[in-house]
Amino acid sequence: MKKFSLDSKQLLDYQPNRPPFLMIDYVTEVVPGVSAKGFKNLPKDEWYFPIHFPNHPNVPGALQLEALAQMLTVAITTLPGNKGKVTHALSHEVRFRKEVLPEQKFIIKTKVISWKRGICEGTGQGIVNGEVACEAKMKITIPEILEQFLPKK
Amino acid sequence: MDNKKKYEKVFMDSFSISKDKLKKDLKYNTIPQWDSVGHMSMIAALEDAFNITFEMDDIIDFSSYKTGKEILKKYKVNIS
Repeated sequence: MKKFSLDSKQLLDYQPNRPPFLMIDYVTEVVPGVSAKGFKNLPKDEWYFPIHFPNHPNVPGALQLEALAQMLTVAITTLPGNKGKVTHALSHEVRFRKEVLPEQKFIIKTKVISWKRGICEGTGQGIVNGEVACEAKMKITIPEILEQFLPKK
Repeated sequence: MDNKKKYEKVFMDSFSISKDKLKKDLKYNTIPQWDSVGHMSMIAALEDAFNITFEMDDIIDFSSYKTGKEILKKYKVNIS
């Protein structure tokens, strides 16, 4: 499949989350069904810094993982027929390695391991200053597709 | 390993259950492990075990341990 990029406006066609929960600013390269990468800038006025934590602002691990899962979603929703579809998380296994701080650029890289019958397994990394801050194995689904394959009760 | 043992093993591994659970006709959504995701994992494991690819209708119809044996016959996999 041909690779392309998505700016913040184009991204909204492929990623159902919206600010301030959209954890991607720009998709620098997506190869549908194969990989997606991009970044989120982290200005100090991000909504979670004042509360996580008042004297030591850093990006919550759950939101780092969310960023990876959102990017993996883009790798799938850019496949023909999947544009605009909603995804759900099924299971994630994550390892956090470094704090992610205000004013840093959070680089997000994801790869699809498999995409079959509405279920995607993939991996992702969050990178700051050239170092891996977090990495995850993820399983997400497009319920609308998955449900087509399930036994009827 | 014969087909019956392979078939049982897929169920036991996919759903983390013991063999005695298979004596009654285990059905979709009657144990927490055989949910939507478990169903797809089990189907994929059967495809790997028997080197087949299920048609969509057969994945939908595969609603129990017993029914699965009948469906596999279509793919020339006999579970005695």
